[in-house]
Order: sequence, then C-alpha cells, then structure tokens
Amino acid sequence: MKRVAARVVYFGRTALRGLVASPVTSVVAVATIGTSLVLVGAFALLLFNMEGLLERFGGNLHVTAYLEVGLAQERQRELAATARTVEGVAEVRLVTEAEALERFRTGVARGAAFLEGLDENPLPASLEITLVPERQSAEGMRIATASLQGLAGVDDLASGQDWVEGYLRAVALVRGLGLGIGVILVLATLLIVANTIRLAVVARSDELEILALVGASRGFVSVPFLLEGLLQGLAGGLLALLLLFGLFHLVLPGLAFGLELLLGGAVPAFFSTGQALALVIGGALLGVIGSGAALLGGLRA
Amino acid sequence: MKRAAVRASSRKLAPRASPGSGGDAAIRAYHVSKSYTAGSFALHDVSLEVGRGEFVFLTGPSGAGKTTLLKLLFAAEQQSEGQIVVLGRNIARLGERAVPELRRRVGVVFQDFKLLPRRTVEENVGMALDVVGTPRREARAKVFAVLKQLGLQHRRHHHPLALSGGEQQRVAIARALVNEPQILLADEPTGNLDPELTVEIMDLIASAATRGTTVLVATHELGLVSRYGKRTLRLEAGRVVEDSRPRGVVR
Repeated sequence: MKRVAARVVYFGRTALRGLVASPVTSVVAVATIGTSLVLVGAFALLLFNMEGLLERFGGNLHVTAYLEVGLAQERQRELAATARTVEGVAEVRLVTEAEALERFRTGVARGAAFLEGLDENPLPASLEITLVPERQSAEGMRIATASLQGLAGVDDLASGQDWVEGYLRAVALVRGLGLGIGVILVLATLLIVANTIRLAVVARSDELEILALVGASRGFVSVPFLLEGLLQGLAGGLLALLLLFGLFHLVLPGLAFGLELLLGGAVPAFFSTGQALALVIGGALLGVIGSGAALLGGLRA
Repeated sequence: MKRAAVRASSRKLAPRASPGSGGDAAIRAYHVSKSYTAGSFALHDVSLEVGRGEFVFLTGPSGAGKTTLLKLLFAAEQQSEGQIVVLGRNIARLGERAVPELRRRVGVVFQDFKLLPRRTVEENVGMALDVVGTPRREARAKVFAVLKQLGLQHRRHHHPLALSGGEQQRVAIARALVNEPQILLADEPTGNLDPELTVEIMDLIASAATRGTTVLVATHELGLVSRYGKRTLRLEAGRVVEDSRPRGVVR
C-alpha cells in the first residue's frame, strides 16, 4: 500500500515537473485543446438548444382540420368521432364556428375591431387534432394528415409539418456541420497534444535513459506523460467551459436578433451540469489519447 | 598499449563454462557473439563465468568489445549468437517485463556519470528507489546511508554540476548501489577522473565486492588492474584472449 502511495506521489510530482519544465508548450497545448473545445462546445450548445426547442414544441403540435362551411352540427360531431378513430390520433376537439369567432375576438389583438361591420361569421368550424406522442414528428404528422385528408366534409388541413420539417433540416445541418468541424478539430488537437508530449519525451530523454537503466518498466515511464496529457486536457476543458460561459452571457445578448431565427425567440439555455462535465472530460480524454499516441511511437528504450 | 606488469597467473581462455554448470555463478556466457553489421563482430564467441561476489576486471584496447559485453549483461542490447545467463535468467528469453526486474538487481556505472543536472544529488540517487516504489521516508534513509558510505552525505542537496568529477562519479555509484544490487557493472568508471580520484573511486567499487556484490569493471587502465590484483579478462577484437587470476585464488 505504501509502495502504491509512493508511486502515485512520484507520478504526480513527475507530471507536474514536466508541465513546469516546458511552460510554453504546455500552455500551447492547453490553449489548443481549449480553443477547439470552445468551437465544438458552441456547436453543441446551438444543437442542444435547437433540439430542446423541437422537443418543447413537439408536444404542442396539432393538426387542424377546417370543416366545410355550412356543415350541420350533427355532421361536424360525426366527423370528430371519425377523426378519433384515425390511427395515431390521441384527441379530437371540435371548435364550432361560434367558438372560433369568440377565440378570434378575445385572442387576437384588436380582433373585435376586425370583426366590426361583418354581418356573418367568416370563420369555419374546425377539428383540433392532437397526435399520440409517438406521432409527434414531421413523419407522424404526414401520416395523420394523409388519413384525415380523405374524410368527406374536411375542407383543408393545417399542421406544423412544413415548419417542423424545415427546422429538422436546419438541426441536421447544424449537427452535420458541428460533427464535421468537430472531427477535424479533434484530430488536429490530438496531433498537437501528441506533438507536445513527444517534445516532452525528447526533452527528457536523458531522464528516461537513466530510468530504464535503473529498472523502470515501460508503464512506469509512461504514466507521468499520460498524466501530463490528462492535466493539459483537463485544463483545456475547463478553459473551454469558462470561455463558453463567458461568451454565452456576454456575447449572446448582442446576437439575440440572429438567434431568434434559429431558436424562434426561445431563451437559450447553457449546458446542464452533466453536459459541462462531459466537455471537461472530453478535454481530459483528448489529452490522454494524444499523449498515448505520442508514447506509442516515442518510447523506445 | 603495455601489458599488465603484474599478473600472478594467466592462461589462454578455453570455453570452460557450459550450460548447467556453475550453479552459483552470477554471470555466465556461452559462445556469445554480437555483430552490428553482417560479417564484422563486436564480440566473437565469448564464453566466461563470473562467480557471485567475485571482482573481475575487463580490459583491452578501445573497440575490443568491453562496452558491448557489459551492454549485453544488462540487456541494453541482445547478443546475435550464444547464451547469456545473469542471476539465473537467460537474457535472450527475458520478456519486456523481466528486463526492468533484472536491471533492478544490476547496478551500472558509466564513464560519463549519467546524472541529471537539474536534480539534486539526493534525487539522482533516489531515482533507483522511485522505480521500485520505495516509500519516501524509507528512500530518504537509504539514500542518506549510501551517500554516507561514499562520504557524500553533506552534498545531498547540491546539484551535480556543483560537484567535482570524483564526487559526481560517487553519486553515480551511490545510485547504482542504493538498491543493493547483486551485480555492479562499471564501464570505464574512472575514465574522466584524475589519477588520485581514480584510486578513490575504484576503492569504493571494490568495497562493494567485499560486501558480496559481483563486480565487473571495464577499464583500459592497466596500472589500475595491477594495483588491485584481481581476476582480469582481456578482450581483443571481440574475443577473450586472456583470463588471468591472482595466485592463490581458487575460482
């Protein structure tokens, strides 16, 4: 147990000594990891917010079936009952002409003023159809509207299908772009971390030679370098988190107009604790994998 | 180069060791050859046996193969042919994990000391203990004890470059001895030192042998060899051409 503790102390001390011995390369590595994680993190933030928006609105997506004008109330109720039997429909609410008018009058600003002077109610009756949760998607809505389209007495169907499809495309675009850029950045970062550690290996070749001479195993020699990579990665991850947090609170308010286009006026949310942790752990992994790659080729006794 | 003036007895060496014999030998080599380029040999058909606790000089001109032989003994290089058994382990068959274990039992000292200039004397010596995970307090005590034995305890917080050549070599010896190795290999340990310091360093190395450590010292300083009157293996062009023992020594 004491020997394990002695080793842990040795590894920690050696890793820190390595970081301090080449401060410039260490700072460059941390800054590189930090910068690429800021970019990857920014894409992730945008994506999470867009997906969150989709989820929030997804639960509110209805299909509205406008009924033909002049349909008897009896027939309207029959249609509502038929709509309930369509697969994927959870709930159907009949909105009569009178109800629609009342909603318009009270729900729309200056609605009452618009209606002044009209002799008859111009609004049709409609069915507000809510889909079962599994169908709360563009595809689900497409299937449901196709079934409802054929019902006699239904004049027109309106749904958020087009909007959802468009938004889904935008989300896919952001995801694809983020993924592409992320992969390139991660590879570039790995190369730079690997290079940093390789430089450290070269800088400490005298020490490594002596360690090999006095019986250090490959693992014993490797651990401090991996730890060095881990510490650089952790620092880079924390730096990225800090920068993103700062950008989120300082710069985002200035971009509100552009963001409204993407988020539809929803208040953007920062990472959850888990997501923030994942970012930092991601940095640490970058560090460890980068130094591991450097050691694979760099430690020849 | 002049031959050793004082040699109690000498004879041409025939390979007298064979696998399975000499169970208490620390080092055994059977028909060992080492070539770096095809056709030319750094070592050629070398057979020898060094008993536990024995002190042996390895002499010969530069390029005779002394350093190569030592490198083979601590598995820094692999022989091209033949077998080497060190402390009961066949070097050629050592796995990647077994090499470090062997090296913890074999201390090595070089002509250029191989000390880290940015570490203190204590840290330099302590490296051999870091590797085996010796707890810090115990390591300090061990380092202090070995430095005291070599008369360097007051220098333990200094950096190597603040020390004289002789002191630096003593630090290197301390590092080689701190783990109480069973074998001590020294490659021209006094090559960089003044004559007075040479004797001082060699005395320290010889004293390790009196405590039971097998010692093999490669040197081309024949005056030194004659002064100690120990068994001497002479290498020339990669071959052992002479194995001389002081009179009265049975081994």
